[in-house]
Amino acid sequence: MKTLWILTLYVLVSTAAYGQALDLKNLEKLAAKASDVTDVTLDGSLLKFAAKFLSNDDPDQAKVKKLVAEIKGIYVRTYEFESEGEYSESDLAAIRSQLRTPGWSRIVGVHSKKDHDNAEIYLNKGGAEPGGLAIVCANPKELVVVNIVGKIDLDELSELGGNLGVPKLDLDKPKPSKPDSKKDHD
Amino acid sequence: MSHLEDDLRAALQREEPSADFADRVLARLEHPATPRPSWQEGLAVLMRPPRLLWVAVCLIVCVMIPFAEVQYRKQRQYLADGERAKQQLLFAVRMAGSKLHQAQKKVLEGGRTETRL
Repeated sequence: MKTLWILTLYVLVSTAAYGQALDLKNLEKLAAKASDVTDVTLDGSLLKFAAKFLSNDDPDQAKVKKLVAEIKGIYVRTYEFESEGEYSESDLAAIRSQLRTPGWSRIVGVHSKKDHDNAEIYLNKGGAEPGGLAIVCANPKELVVVNIVGKIDLDELSELGGNLGVPKLDLDKPKPSKPDSKKDHD
Repeated sequence: MSHLEDDLRAALQREEPSADFADRVLARLEHPATPRPSWQEGLAVLMRPPRLLWVAVCLIVCVMIPFAEVQYRKQRQYLADGERAKQQLLFAVRMAGSKLHQAQKKVLEGGRTETRL
């Protein structure tokens, strides 16, 4: 009986751990239409394997190593299109429906009517700690879906925005309002 | 008499052996030519020291060279795979950080946003 309980608990824990990974297979059909496709799938063992090759001497790589220590998987799909209208909202419907399931909550949603640039950030709360992250960025010529499974520190990930060639954005300090600040919107 | 008979007579006439002929025959009888050793005997010779040491060294080298090459190729493949995985990981983190950064930037810029932080 005890063994049965342990087995049930193991199955439940396993389901919870891997349940946060989104099924991105629905996006595969877009590859035929896209001019540029990037598909990165780093799960469990491959992620650990990759992390072993990150240098501790390089500060950026050391930060990434620390960040991915408790991550179970990273999945990135990017599709760039030659012209607008190559994909539709229905292509994202399967992903959005997964992100509407309990556990996931949208923490940021940006919809720009000006340049039709949309960005959504979803967080999966696997208990007290974040259990995963999903980012869906869509503009008429580009679609990016990022899914990180596992405990992810958004501050650290955001901090990495200042490394790896991306300028850092200090979110704690409010920006002084400048009349031309809107020009940087692109 | 034909030339043929002269030729035959010249060819068949008795010739005296050289002076050391008898000595050479006796010497050959005293030291007979050694028979060619069989492959088993040759192998047995190799299996005795000191040749055994050289045989062992040659065998080890012959086994080690292909083994070392296989190991070298495996190691090279391992490093290449690791480097590729590392680049993918850096790209993925860069992409996630960048998109998170862009979304946060737009939130701060105060566009048409909807946030539930």
